[in-house]
Amino acid sequence: MKTTTVKNVLVCVLALLGLLLLSGCGQEHPFVQKTAFKDTSSIVIKFAGPVDEGRAKDISNYTVYEKPDPDIKLKISQVELSPDKRTLTLTFERELNQKQPHMISIKEINSEGRSLGSAFVSVKKLYLGYLFSVLIGAMLINNFVFSKYLGLCVFFGTSQKKSTAVGMGITFTIVMVFSAMMAWFLYQFVLKPYRLDFLQIVVFIGLVSLSVQAVDTILRKLNPVLFKAFGVYLVLVIANCIIIAVPLTLAANEYNAMESLMLALGAGVGFLIALFLMASVRERLELANVPPTYRGLPIAFVVAGLFALAFLGFSGMSIF
Amino acid sequence: MDLTLVKLALAGLAVLGCIGLFFGIGLAVAANRFAVEVNPKVEEVLDILAGAQ
Repeated sequence: MKTTTVKNVLVCVLALLGLLLLSGCGQEHPFVQKTAFKDTSSIVIKFAGPVDEGRAKDISNYTVYEKPDPDIKLKISQVELSPDKRTLTLTFERELNQKQPHMISIKEINSEGRSLGSAFVSVKKLYLGYLFSVLIGAMLINNFVFSKYLGLCVFFGTSQKKSTAVGMGITFTIVMVFSAMMAWFLYQFVLKPYRLDFLQIVVFIGLVSLSVQAVDTILRKLNPVLFKAFGVYLVLVIANCIIIAVPLTLAANEYNAMESLMLALGAGVGFLIALFLMASVRERLELANVPPTYRGLPIAFVVAGLFALAFLGFSGMSIF
Repeated sequence: MDLTLVKLALAGLAVLGCIGLFFGIGLAVAANRFAVEVNPKVEEVLDILAGAQ
């Protein structure tokens, strides 16, 4: 028994490492070592070797825009090259919105007379911090239940008792992460290359039912105790709209593997939090003196509205 | 009829079919590997019962 648990943990760690690697190797140019924001209105680009001054200092070689709006090109006021010719500083006319990732395309990099081709690189602020903000954003700030009103049927159906709520929340999180990762993979490597984005809803719905069925089959054999506890809610997961909203969001925002994982995790944990809070209140409401017209679902809706108001306090909050 | 659209539709059919086939086989294999023996008497008893609930 113990060796199998160790094996399982190892497999999980390996899968995580693989994910990290996958997200690490983007389409970045090999000659560009590092890109970063500097002050409020500059971007610093570090090259692996010295670049030729004449080409590098030509402003028309650079096109910079925010990732969501490729049509709005940002105006560069100054290009500086450090004395060792490896560090380039682009200064812009206006302040940069550093919350958004920026894309830079550099025409024809020349190093010591050799042409290294064009580069297309991205600039992001503090990557781990950005991932954390995606997680917290999906969990609290844009909580799927309280600020997007998704998944309400399951939310009201399973929030009568704390134990049910926690069981549903955990099952949901597992299936969510599972299917979101598969959806990300299929979207990036199958649907997009063949320009079949318009089929995303059909494919994602299929993926959700697939992962639910797979978790059902595997859990039934591997861990019957867990299956007894969670099996009832597994089927309910299919009927939840959050599970289809997350793949659609990550496809629309072009998230990479790590960002998708964080979004899925945040959505799952956010749903768990929402269910648990609601169940705690509803357990107490059983004992309260509620007017007969309001008993049951109506008062639950009122409570959910109050929770949504409370979660409104998080809106507009930004981390990092 | 535009030829590119026809191509796109055919590609869609092919890709969707492949995905379906791939995952269908995957699920079938999983169901086989992780099969749980159920006592056949359970089903027999369930069949005999009224089954209103």
